[in-house]
Amino acid sequence: MHHRFTSGARARLAATALTLAALGPVFYGLPAAAETSQPTYDKSDIILVTTVINATNPYMASWIEGSKALGEKLGLPVEIVQSNGSSQTQIAGIQALAAKGKKIVLVTNPLAASDVPAIANTIKQNGGYMVVWWNMPPNMEPADVGDHFVAFGTYNGVTAGECGAKALVEAMGGKGGIIALPGVLDSTVSQERVAGLKEVIKDYPDITLLDEQPANWDQAIALKATQQLVAKYGDEIDGVWTADDAMMLGAYEAIKKAGMIGDVKFSGEGAYPPVVDLMVAQPDGNVVAASSFHRGYKAAATGMLIAYKAAVGELDVAALTAEQRHGQYAIDCVTPENAAKFQENGGIDPTWLDRLIADPFMDLVGGKVELPNG
Amino acid sequence: MTSLSGTGSGRAARRRGLAARAGVAELAILLALVAIFSMLNPHAFPTLTNLNTILNNAAIPIVIGVGASLVVLTGRIDLSVEGVMGAAGMAFVLLSANSRETADIGWLAYPAALAVGAGLGAATGAIHALAKVPSFIVSLGMWYVGLGIAAVLFGYEMIPFLGNEAAVAWPTATPLGLPNSFVLALVVVGLGWLIERYTRLGRYAYAIGNNETVARMTGIPVAGFVVAIFAFAGACSALAGVMGSLALGAGSATVGVGMLFLTLAAIVIGGTPLGGGRGGALRTVTGVLILSTLYNGLILVGVDPSIQSGVSGIVLVAAVIAAGWSQRARLRVFK
Repeated sequence: MHHRFTSGARARLAATALTLAALGPVFYGLPAAAETSQPTYDKSDIILVTTVINATNPYMASWIEGSKALGEKLGLPVEIVQSNGSSQTQIAGIQALAAKGKKIVLVTNPLAASDVPAIANTIKQNGGYMVVWWNMPPNMEPADVGDHFVAFGTYNGVTAGECGAKALVEAMGGKGGIIALPGVLDSTVSQERVAGLKEVIKDYPDITLLDEQPANWDQAIALKATQQLVAKYGDEIDGVWTADDAMMLGAYEAIKKAGMIGDVKFSGEGAYPPVVDLMVAQPDGNVVAASSFHRGYKAAATGMLIAYKAAVGELDVAALTAEQRHGQYAIDCVTPENAAKFQENGGIDPTWLDRLIADPFMDLVGGKVELPNG
Repeated sequence: MTSLSGTGSGRAARRRGLAARAGVAELAILLALVAIFSMLNPHAFPTLTNLNTILNNAAIPIVIGVGASLVVLTGRIDLSVEGVMGAAGMAFVLLSANSRETADIGWLAYPAALAVGAGLGAATGAIHALAKVPSFIVSLGMWYVGLGIAAVLFGYEMIPFLGNEAAVAWPTATPLGLPNSFVLALVVVGLGWLIERYTRLGRYAYAIGNNETVARMTGIPVAGFVVAIFAFAGACSALAGVMGSLALGAGSATVGVGMLFLTLAAIVIGGTPLGGGRGGALRTVTGVLILSTLYNGLILVGVDPSIQSGVSGIVLVAAVIAAGWSQRARLRVFK
């Protein structure tokens, strides 16, 4: 929400950033702890930075909350860079903060995979550290880029897609037609989740995947797409699988308006609080089957903490394992049976953050995500 | 369907004739699309359910199109549509009974939301007319101002759901045989047509679009009318934002996503040139119906999602060419 700079000021800052960046190595601080191979800094020389695509998406809102909660625990303020859907704005924002002269500790959910090299360069020149979530070019590995790119983290989209699909198919009694709403076609995350769906329905010969219409991760577009699919398939639709809960909420409203809500089951991803509430209350009958749980809160806090620990010398980047540098983190499968557990505090255990600070890799469950064959 | 009248010259009469014929071309395109999709999917496409789906989808862009057409008639453009929809839609949801329990001012939430839109529109018009900045750039800025307001209203909290079930169910209900949303859109179109045809605001819009210098010389207070027209367009976008929020049953800053392209394309396909001076709201209805039918039909006949947008782009360009074919000799300047 906060454009901190006017464009003129931002351009000037960006220019200063470039000048300073060229001098970067001169300003390297003295190592604070002796046991790390990477340069480290005093806490007072650090600023915490987080980037979000926008602030009107519940995932991003939770992401900001997690960044701020960790910042409070560490006693450091958090700068938020909003990209507002523009890679250029996002990179310029990070560069402007780099120009302030402090070392950046960055956790970023980049708008596009192709933004990561430019962001990594900015951080390298600044002398800071970063952790990237979700998006990275397929041929990139943090370990190859350098110590400043401490880690890449993601969630296994295949597992997430399977969580929703399994519960959905079971709720449908193992037979009927499903319409699927992926995010956007060229998104890896969306492709992984769809692969999970397809992996599950392989085992159910009486389940038909009627149609796939990408709905751009958007509630309004999902509503519109579902309305067309209802016109096309009508009663043949027994289940709606979506790659994200925002799209599930849009599809839910469309099915409700079509008067079919009692006959159609739903699954989503992300376990947004309104969806968890729906699962607990089920106001329209037992229709919401599952959603996989992870939070922007956890991703942001985990990533920022890993980068912070590298910066202050509490982690030796060279000693990190391959999985720690590029790994997948735990997700839960929320169903009506266990949904109540995820209602309080946005589903985040109040002791979680303190436990994380003791072990930043607490939720790490594996290495790189592999797509199933075929 | 209207044009500057009063000259009585043969040229004006010819232009009226051409305009009428051009309207027929657009209807022919619409009917051709309906025929093709009906052949390709005879089970699902030509049904009452699907007709209502298409009309319900068309309602929001039609409402936006009424205001936007008037702006385009003057030779200006309003790009702020999606931002205004977001700001007005969020204002409406947060002022109605909702799951965040922010405030509930009852039916007053509707005029309040329209006022937000009219205010943003008036601001666009005033900055454009008084500071002499192209409407293109002012309204582009206002798009982001609107989105910014919507984002602030959305905040970091959870999605606000509307509490009034009856209001949420209203747009898609069909007590008159057609979806209420479409009936409302027709009422707005009627209002737009009356404004264009019978009020000074409408007639001056044509005059300004035809030749602004002459309009100024004849003493028309151009700036004042431009501000009023932008305010009206803002109110139309705001109404569309309210309708979008009712359709979602929830507040969303991006409730207007994709609407700007759809509406502007519909205006041009309908036959209101971006240069202004000709066309109007009625024509935009045909343009919106062509695009809504296309979107619906491509899904219903099972065109692969990855080539859908390419196909709609080609059909869009083809429709503009076909609609303007009869007039191609008369268009001397292209920009």
